[in-house]
Amino acid sequence: MTTETKGLILAGVGGQGVILASMIVADALVRAGHDVKQSEVHGMAQRGGSVFSHIRWGAGVDSPLVGQGTAEVLAAFEWAEAIRSVGYVREGGAVVADLRTIVPPGACQDRRSWRRGYPDVDPELFLGRRVKSRLIDAAATASELGNVRAANSVILGAVAAFLDIERRHWEEAIEAMVPPGTAEVNLAAFRAGSEASDARIPGRAPEPRGYAGPHLIDIRHDWCKGCDICSRVCPEFCLEVDPRGRLEIVDHQACTGCRLCELLCPDFAISVTAPTEQTPKPSEAVTNHG
Amino acid sequence: MTDVRKYLREWAMPHVLCPGCAHGIVLKSFLEAVDQLQLDQDKVAMVAGIGCSSRLAGYADLCTMHGTHGRAPAFATGLKLARPDLDVVVVSGDGDGLAIGGNHLIHAARRNIDITVLLLNNSIYGMTGGQVAPTTPQGAIASTSPGGNSEASFDPCRLLTGAGASFVARVLAATPIEMTKTIVEAMSHPGFAFIEIVGDCPEYFGRYNKAGGGAEMLNFIARQGESVAVPLTSKRFVNHVPAPEPRPGLRTGVLNREIRPVYSGVRGAVSDEA
Repeated sequence: MTTETKGLILAGVGGQGVILASMIVADALVRAGHDVKQSEVHGMAQRGGSVFSHIRWGAGVDSPLVGQGTAEVLAAFEWAEAIRSVGYVREGGAVVADLRTIVPPGACQDRRSWRRGYPDVDPELFLGRRVKSRLIDAAATASELGNVRAANSVILGAVAAFLDIERRHWEEAIEAMVPPGTAEVNLAAFRAGSEASDARIPGRAPEPRGYAGPHLIDIRHDWCKGCDICSRVCPEFCLEVDPRGRLEIVDHQACTGCRLCELLCPDFAISVTAPTEQTPKPSEAVTNHG
Repeated sequence: MTDVRKYLREWAMPHVLCPGCAHGIVLKSFLEAVDQLQLDQDKVAMVAGIGCSSRLAGYADLCTMHGTHGRAPAFATGLKLARPDLDVVVVSGDGDGLAIGGNHLIHAARRNIDITVLLLNNSIYGMTGGQVAPTTPQGAIASTSPGGNSEASFDPCRLLTGAGASFVARVLAATPIEMTKTIVEAMSHPGFAFIEIVGDCPEYFGRYNKAGGGAEMLNFIARQGESVAVPLTSKRFVNHVPAPEPRPGLRTGVLNREIRPVYSGVRGAVSDEA
């Protein structure tokens, strides 16, 4: 068949409702009288992996897969996934992206800063590609409506502005697909999404946890009995009990503040606190009593 | 994160417990729970009997009461009836709670009086010299069973479920965050709440059974735990009696939770509050 077909990509992270959203889009397209094919990838999603769905529609569709640079719209539920999938969008197409950032474990090589390996939220990354964009904060909008899990409907609302599907088809599809009892909030979320304007860019984020220096380890030697539990549980080998039974901090810089030593110290001898803005130098950060 | 040291009677520290004994971890977890629940220190009463575990009450800067051996639940019952405004927590050991005071414990559970019992199970009598306890595993060595314990041991959680405790949980001293969470749940539960906390006794049990020191024993306990999650939706109570264990493993988590009338001491009546 040689009729013209159109494509849509939905991309996000496991648990965001990408698959449900793609079922809603496909259902709305069927209701609008198109031939629709949909295909998805959701392996390892529960471990923070990406989930994406391809949808193609037209008078007759043979394959569900959307080629690079051919999609009408990319609906991205997460910032890094938006960047990952932006290559699918055709010139003049549209990107609807949630500004939400979900940093996958694999990108957190440095557990203290949580910075490495995750792209900045920077719309400049879209420049150079001639696409329309709508950057929204779907989770915040959905939370205001009372159910953060309706964020996927907010995104669909924003997507609807770029697709030629009648409103009633969208609403019928949402009512048919969402879990029982949530149709109202999802329809409200859809409307809010279709009216949403660009959200404020949160600057050169993401910094879920800033790194203000090593944690403060306070040891009360007068209470410590040298039982060795803390040094054995420390994943970073920060602590050591010397042959005389005295607990020493051997690598203060390596402390990530997990507090395992504090939680498992039977003698209340250790306390680990997050550094404040005026972080003392490591040598001063170690307080020794007794 | 608050430093729970502020809830300690600093003048009494360091405590008498042996190096590596998990009882201190339990005290810390309990104080963390008190902190999370934002309870007034003058409104929490810690009632203890006799034993290593019962020494914990002496170090907490709360209302504390040191009673006679095994009778902590009886003291706690009286205290709760006289002062219903207090949150009453019993801290007891396996020997104190299950042998010497077994009767008091099961009858407090039967009445469903609104107290919380923390039973620190270290599988042995620590304070008196490592004698065999009702929780000593079959085959384990104690000072009174040098050839290995020939008796079967109690499963405290099944015992208390049978006695009618409306909240029964088991946690491991090696998992302090879960322990704090469970203590918070237990203290918020209306009615009798029982938590068995599986800990170590490196000085007696560990030495006799060549189980190593505190770190080794906690590691061993942590590996034995087998978490069960009982689904619970609010307003719908689940009465789940754990099935006999097919293999040796400690089922941890909330094992029984139900809402039933709470004993208030009024003649012929029970409190409607639930």
